[in-house]
Amino acid sequence: MSSTTTRRRVAAASLAGLAVFAAGCRGGSEDPADGGGGEGGSIATDVGVTSDPCPEAVNPDNGCIYLGTLSDLTVGPFAAAGPTIVAGQEAFWNRVNEDGGIGGYDVNVSEYVRDNQYNPQVTNQVYQEIKPDILGLAQTLGSPPTASIVEDLAAEDIVAAPAGWTSLYLFQDVILESGPTYCAEAMNGVDYAAETYSAESVMAVHYAGDYGGDAAAGASVAAEANGLDFANVETTAGTDNQSAAVAAIVDQQPDVVVVSTGPADMATIVGQSVAAGFQGRFLGSSPTWNVALLQSPAAPALTASYQLLGPWGPWDTDSPGHEAMREAAGDTTPNEFFLSGWVWSYPMKAALEAAADSGDLTREGLATASAALESVDYEGILPEGSGNYANGGDAAAVRTTQLSDVSADASTGVTVAEADLEGSTAEGYEFTEPCYEAIDLG
Amino acid sequence: MTALENRPAERATPAPAKGRRPWGRPAMYTGYGQDMALLNTGAKKAALAVLLVVALLLPFVLEDELLRLLATGAVLAIGAIGLNLVTGYAGQVSLGHAFFLGIGAYTAAVVSGETGDEDLYGFGITFIPVWLLAGGAMAALVGLVVAPLASRLRGLYLAIVTLGLVFLGEHVFREWDAVTGGVGVGRPAADPVLFGVDLSRSTDAFSADQQMYLLMTALLVLFALLGRNIARSAIGRSFAAVRDRDIAAEVTGVDVRKAKRLAFVISGFYAGCAGALLYSISGYLDPSSFGLLVSVQFVAMVLIGGVATISGSIMGAFFIAILPRLTRELPEYLPFLSSSATEFPNVFQVETLLYGLLIVAFLIFEPRGLFGVWVRARNYWKSWPFSY
Repeated sequence: MSSTTTRRRVAAASLAGLAVFAAGCRGGSEDPADGGGGEGGSIATDVGVTSDPCPEAVNPDNGCIYLGTLSDLTVGPFAAAGPTIVAGQEAFWNRVNEDGGIGGYDVNVSEYVRDNQYNPQVTNQVYQEIKPDILGLAQTLGSPPTASIVEDLAAEDIVAAPAGWTSLYLFQDVILESGPTYCAEAMNGVDYAAETYSAESVMAVHYAGDYGGDAAAGASVAAEANGLDFANVETTAGTDNQSAAVAAIVDQQPDVVVVSTGPADMATIVGQSVAAGFQGRFLGSSPTWNVALLQSPAAPALTASYQLLGPWGPWDTDSPGHEAMREAAGDTTPNEFFLSGWVWSYPMKAALEAAADSGDLTREGLATASAALESVDYEGILPEGSGNYANGGDAAAVRTTQLSDVSADASTGVTVAEADLEGSTAEGYEFTEPCYEAIDLG
Repeated sequence: MTALENRPAERATPAPAKGRRPWGRPAMYTGYGQDMALLNTGAKKAALAVLLVVALLLPFVLEDELLRLLATGAVLAIGAIGLNLVTGYAGQVSLGHAFFLGIGAYTAAVVSGETGDEDLYGFGITFIPVWLLAGGAMAALVGLVVAPLASRLRGLYLAIVTLGLVFLGEHVFREWDAVTGGVGVGRPAADPVLFGVDLSRSTDAFSADQQMYLLMTALLVLFALLGRNIARSAIGRSFAAVRDRDIAAEVTGVDVRKAKRLAFVISGFYAGCAGALLYSISGYLDPSSFGLLVSVQFVAMVLIGGVATISGSIMGAFFIAILPRLTRELPEYLPFLSSSATEFPNVFQVETLLYGLLIVAFLIFEPRGLFGVWVRARNYWKSWPFSY
């Protein structure tokens, strides 16, 4: 062996040795037990809970619970809603922190806010990014994007409050949904239309996936129960992509159209159909309304022909929860999505409190506590007995809808026309699996 | 004479020259084997060994997030090598790389998908080599079908036609719900299971990101070796002949049509494998991910990294993979930039701008790309301190 070869080999080996020496610097990220103890160390914690205070904490002596948010902030069909929902949730948890936090911890929902672009793949990606640092998800917007991570959520015991109402969530223990499902909502809408407008035909115009598909399934069940004709029209997101749906409406002239898309797309469909001479009624699922639509050219058409099937009373409603929300909102422009963000946070608060009470703020502890909840206090926004997650999907299913008309006088553009609407179809339906899987829309 | 008789018998032929070069004379080849070797200088061997050792030790040093980034970079490098083989070495401009990626990704997803699902096809075979090779083979097959286009078209016209493939692919992926799940819904991607161990789930010894990084790096080394050997074999030389003057190549006996066909098949195989692997990292696939932008990204990787070099493709791919991470750090140094996508100017706009700017800058100032930058640096230090 020549001396040059030996020299080279020694150099290579020592470099390698240096690298091994540096191997201690990984920083413990493979070890998920990253949290500190609570006050006095009595509450068990693992991921996403630290004994250090939150950045810009309300209570500097409290530790910090980090909840992630996956919302449509830029390019999806709910891009106008996403930031408003985030604002509503921040207001909610700020109030919780000002009241002292939970179990000696403040709750932070601002640090891990990520844009999911209403795209299942991007959702998956950004979720993987924030996963190592959060205890649960304060918000995951969009039923199809959430569907892409729901398996992982269940596998890793990560509790999530969805910004959506698909019936899939009734059967997922880690998902804390609030309010009626799109399925029940559409059933109530069709029952109401059959009764009030003597409708004989129903058309469901909807996005593909477990938001639109769920509502269409509900509409289909109620149409069958009432003996109505049912037509199924799928559409894609984007105000330029609604011409096929509008053409179908104008062609087939159904008596009532159940719309389950985003707000801008709904306004396009309603506006263009009415302009083409359509005279039937439109019933929109909960996510279809945004107060900003009153400034759009479709506003007269909406006021005349559209009604919102909402999950709870709108902004102006008189209830302790609504009052607290209005107070926390201060000067913010009233918007239904702010209220939604507020309401969606109640079950997560109840679950965190239950977990802290039993001394276990680990992911597993939170998941167990949330699955055991039998009722959640919504401060009057939802009726007593809501939030029953412990007794199976059918018991957790809320079946009442608030039907609202468009009104320029109301703060958020809608006033309740029929409160606590519950049709016979929804009342009698047994939820054993997600509606869009149970019903074949053809 | 005793001196002559007592001398021990000299060997009749000189000693084999391998490994016996004088110190500081790395280019002095004294045997064909030495010259033709993959790593023909001692420095190359040592450098590669150090690189491999560092790559193997990185999982114990870096955080999971960075490892995930590097794993993505490694997979993009596989795709970039494929594109470099067809565009850099064989000179066939292909803007359709995203299409082949998509085919590979969906084939792998279908092969590895859950059986018995009413809405989506799936065969349930999650063993990595099976779905990986299936993805590559399917994309290679499509490359074979597409290759005759290259025999009839050249340059800009071929670029436009391959661009058409991307839109064809987008339409097929959008409409074929049983394979892709449909726009806005998507489907789970292939599960990387090796001998019963699901590498995308953390185990006791390693985290998921560590495992995926090691898998992707190992596969990159394999594919890079394959690519390098293709490039320096007769096939590679026929590619270069076709690229430089295909008529002259035809005249000297190179089968131009076969070379072009082979180029598309090989690049299709690489792209298919890259597509299959890329989405197994994140675990979910949406049909809108195989648009023109992806093709442009790969072209950027090839141009920025260095046309017609394997190491250039790898450098370019890692550069493009790390770029979004780097631009995200910019607001710290340039306070007028915002990290929120709703304000102007913001880092996402800067990132999009940078792709174009970098391509133009590299083409003007360093046409050989990052590999050219490396060559310049190497030459400078080779003759230092006499580097003028």
